[in-house]
Amino acid sequence: MLSLFFLPSTRETAGRRVPSWVLWVVIILGLAVYGTFGRQLFLLSTFGTVFLYVVLTQAWNILGGYGGYLNFGMVTFFGVGAYASAILFQYFQLSPFLTAPLAGMTAAVLGLLIGIPTLRIRGAYFALVTMIITFAVQILVLDVPFTQGALGIYLQPLQLTPLGVERLFYFLFLGCAVLVTVLVYAIEHSNFGWALIAIREDEDAAEIVGVRTVEVKWVANVLGAFIAGVVGGLYAQRIMYIEPTGTFAFDISLNVVLMAVIGGAGTWQGPLIGAPLVLLVADTLRVTVTSEVNRAIFSVIVILIALFIPGGIMGLWTRWRRRRAEKLTAAAQIAAPGEETTD
Amino acid sequence: MLDHFAAIMVDGVLIGLIYAITGLGLSLVLGVMGIVNVAHSAFIMLGSFFAFELFERLGVDPIVSFFLALPFFFILGMLVYRVLLTRIERVAQAQGLVAMFGLMVLIENLGTIAWTTDTRVITAAYTNSSLILGSVFLAEVKLIAGALALLLTALIWAFLRFTLVGRAIRALGQDRDAAMSVGIDVRKLSAIMFGLGIACAGGAGVALAMIFPFSPNTQVQWLAWAFLVVILGGLGNVANTLWAGLVVGLVQTLCTAFLPFDYVYLVLYVLLAAVLVVRREGLSLAARRAI
Repeated sequence: MLSLFFLPSTRETAGRRVPSWVLWVVIILGLAVYGTFGRQLFLLSTFGTVFLYVVLTQAWNILGGYGGYLNFGMVTFFGVGAYASAILFQYFQLSPFLTAPLAGMTAAVLGLLIGIPTLRIRGAYFALVTMIITFAVQILVLDVPFTQGALGIYLQPLQLTPLGVERLFYFLFLGCAVLVTVLVYAIEHSNFGWALIAIREDEDAAEIVGVRTVEVKWVANVLGAFIAGVVGGLYAQRIMYIEPTGTFAFDISLNVVLMAVIGGAGTWQGPLIGAPLVLLVADTLRVTVTSEVNRAIFSVIVILIALFIPGGIMGLWTRWRRRRAEKLTAAAQIAAPGEETTD
Repeated sequence: MLDHFAAIMVDGVLIGLIYAITGLGLSLVLGVMGIVNVAHSAFIMLGSFFAFELFERLGVDPIVSFFLALPFFFILGMLVYRVLLTRIERVAQAQGLVAMFGLMVLIENLGTIAWTTDTRVITAAYTNSSLILGSVFLAEVKLIAGALALLLTALIWAFLRFTLVGRAIRALGQDRDAAMSVGIDVRKLSAIMFGLGIACAGGAGVALAMIFPFSPNTQVQWLAWAFLVVILGGLGNVANTLWAGLVVGLVQTLCTAFLPFDYVYLVLYVLLAAVLVVRREGLSLAARRAI
């Protein structure tokens, strides 16, 4: 069924594409070079966090951005992934690097279980239910015996220098971010992506024209959950100690939505812009004001963007480009009659 | 044992009454305006701190605060409507939702800046006293809060049933286009509606503050409760919301009596999932017509 969704669509001509591809490759190479030679612990670790959030935001983007189903509980999958890895380490001494895919699978199964009842309901109800589920899962983790409740789980530190650890996770999360971005790009240009967009624009109409809306939403949710779970597993190894309150913090869910909305939900570039921007501004503000003031400022920004700049920064960008293109065609049309312009 | 059980039931009913007004504002705004007021619980938190400030600074009794809160939050709601909601109504649903979440986070953090994350309680003269009926102990403060909640529910019910404005609001909830075509000023009524919803939130905040400890960053849990009440009771129907509130209150007290405290939330989620699966379309027209 899935293969049908991934039929490539040929929409734009290849000629215009080349420069932007080059730009992305240069950026990735630049980041790789910095990761290899950079020596500042703080910067490496900040970049690692940025990449981590890029992955999470992209994972959110699949259902939330393209499908229009806002998941305000992305941290559920992330946290479950982290706990799956940590528990596998605790009882079987398996390294999270090996069990990260398993963590992803656990999160994906949970995503399916949550998705079956909740993805039949629409819009705001879905958002609220996903938020409530986070609290429920957090409490479950606090209370079941094998997670050690509020005590949390310690993982084994890696046999590396602090710089080596940061560098390792820098590259791990960078790799994940690139992979997931490529995946989201592929989704955007596939029938699966179009199906999701159709659901976002008008779910009833989509169903009438033959989109299997419920199944598409399930797949999108499971995919997002899997990615978040994998990252969660790696995150557990990175911070080496997890406990329910921090791992299932509602702030992480909010951050993800914030980054997607600011960058531009429903575009593959959105999270790439949103995640660094939000973290950069947050880090700058952290030096000058307290984190509450910081979040208050961000919430005002989010309200303003949601109300006045639909589509976030990417929305602005595409509108600007369209306007420029219109202006160019208009100018060409004025110039065209009479003269033999070669353009 | 029987006395114990009776006390639990009475407790459940009293708390349920407060949950009913918690959900009522959300349900009315959703049913009539079609907007999920995610910031509802943030206004509940403001209501709690409204009572707290009045009590700490001026020594105003929470019962008085409750009646002061209603007009105060009504006006606050109208203001928020004018500034924010009129714009939210114009954008796509997903963006409106994001904006409402933004409002919730904004209020929560402003609350944290103003009052820190410390957990507060209001200790009025009657907070720790209880009535003894036969051999059943009843906390006086819960009786008072429950009575206030019931009064507010009755007021809203009467307002919607008997006044012209209330009827117009119901008409708006039943059929927006038809209501507009008979000359109802949608903008004005929506403002009043949202004001009422926020007034309910404020009143609920005061009532909750009388019983439970509160802090700015735990407000989200009330959103979960309010949402559960709305899903159970359907949209915009005062009587059904009241019943749903009572059910949630009873479930909560029974759970706390027989299970570890934390499991209340789990039961809540299972209940929520069950209701959603059983009545998938329960939030659509069928329930809406009952307004």
